[in-house]
Amino acid sequence: MTKLFALALAAVSGAACAQMPAANTMPDGSRDMYVGLGVASKPRYEGGSERDTAFLPVLQVQWSNGVFVSGMRAGIHLSRAPQLEFGPLLELQPRRDAEGEGDSVGGADLVRLSMVAAPLAAPGGNRLAGMPGIHSRVQGGGFFNYYLTPDWRFTSSLLYGAGNARNGLKLELGVQRLAIDVGAHHRLAFDAGLTLANRRYNTAFFGVGESDSFNSANPVFDAGGGLKDVHLGARWNWAWSPSWMLTSSAQATRLLGSARMSPLVERPNNLTVSTAIAFRF
Amino acid sequence: MPSASHLTTCCSLALIALSACAPARAGDWVSYRDAYRAMVVFEKYGGQKNFLQSQLQVAPQERGTSLDGVQLTLAGKTNQVNLPLDSLGRTAFPLLKGAYDENVALMLSRKIGGFSLRPRVSIALQADGVYEDGELRAACEQALGFARYGDGSLRTRQCGGVRFVFAKRAAEIGVRVHRPDGSDASLAVSTGAAFPGDADDGFPTVLYRFTGSEKVQLVTAYPPLAIVPVFD
Repeated sequence: MTKLFALALAAVSGAACAQMPAANTMPDGSRDMYVGLGVASKPRYEGGSERDTAFLPVLQVQWSNGVFVSGMRAGIHLSRAPQLEFGPLLELQPRRDAEGEGDSVGGADLVRLSMVAAPLAAPGGNRLAGMPGIHSRVQGGGFFNYYLTPDWRFTSSLLYGAGNARNGLKLELGVQRLAIDVGAHHRLAFDAGLTLANRRYNTAFFGVGESDSFNSANPVFDAGGGLKDVHLGARWNWAWSPSWMLTSSAQATRLLGSARMSPLVERPNNLTVSTAIAFRF
Repeated sequence: MPSASHLTTCCSLALIALSACAPARAGDWVSYRDAYRAMVVFEKYGGQKNFLQSQLQVAPQERGTSLDGVQLTLAGKTNQVNLPLDSLGRTAFPLLKGAYDENVALMLSRKIGGFSLRPRVSIALQADGVYEDGELRAACEQALGFARYGDGSLRTRQCGGVRFVFAKRAAEIGVRVHRPDGSDASLAVSTGAAFPGDADDGFPTVLYRFTGSEKVQLVTAYPPLAIVPVFD
């Protein structure tokens, strides 16, 4: 299904995925801003086999006081040492609902009248059909990055507040090879990382409760915490002029642990690709 | 899949962007904002740096690319500056907030093929061509301190010496070591790159290692292009 705008924003930093941009220096009172629009192809949901192609707005802004907005993230660089980056971080977790075939199955909140009643959603279709929607949430936490060399950095972020109960916690750890110059105006960046999540996070996104099971036809699944996924990413930025650029990225993710075993997961390996034109102000 | 109208919108965006940047051919411009960010690090560095100088280098990727007569031109609404490059591709870089905010291009006066931009820190030249060993050691330590400021992996490196880099067509190439007892000796000349990572390794260079007395003087009869700290 194609949407006019995806509930996601892309970042154009040298980092391969939508991480926070590197701390940098600029004149007092100045900023560096990228705004653009592109197209992204991604799984309909994490673990889903069906793909969505959607328009993707691009936004990245940094101010000289350290505040930044990068895709769905915003934070503040507090470190003054070039080898360290740390500070508070906010991230918008987008909503997940049962868009698609499942939407036609009404009454997910119907009272169950009989223990032998048939499931409200037919098995084998959209596995999110009948599952409760997960509201968008602003997660709060912090980030800490350490530069092993000017080109390599270890990255980490801890965010809390995902899921309807606002108690999902995730820890992302990664390593990034920052912008490699390939010619005067082409830059490549790569990253690899893993995500750890607490039980409540995985329960919110991968668990299936008893009532959810009845409504969705998915078997009951009690998700546990631990390693959630590993991922590899690459980004290519092609600057046409100081103001205009083409930014493209690909990220492969493999769900692991309890998330991998969830009946909601149709395929553990997911690929997200995007390309966008951005203007630098 | 995206609908035809969506694809049309994307193509239109691409055409608008390409037409907007048409005057800048690939390979002949540099983002002033990117250069500013690279160069301001030295400016804001709070450590000792009185023996050092920082310059922006346009480093060709092809060996043997001539930079004779090449200059960068900053042509903004509020600033018009010509920045001639030396034989090593370096130029003093003006830190101008107006040019940063305008996001202007630095235009190369002619195409030189592929290149990359690098901030380069070297030891400031003396007008009389005489360098005290002790001052060169202090300068090298300052350069190492700045390098460690931006790169923690250099923590274990030590200052080993300095490398004098001369122009390929210099009238006289050489460095004499003048000792306190009055004796003189010339250091060996070899060809090499001015800075680590430079593609052109055909510059006459003289390596001086910090091994003996700090009271030694080094004398250059002809000004070098650069004195580069050597970290071991």
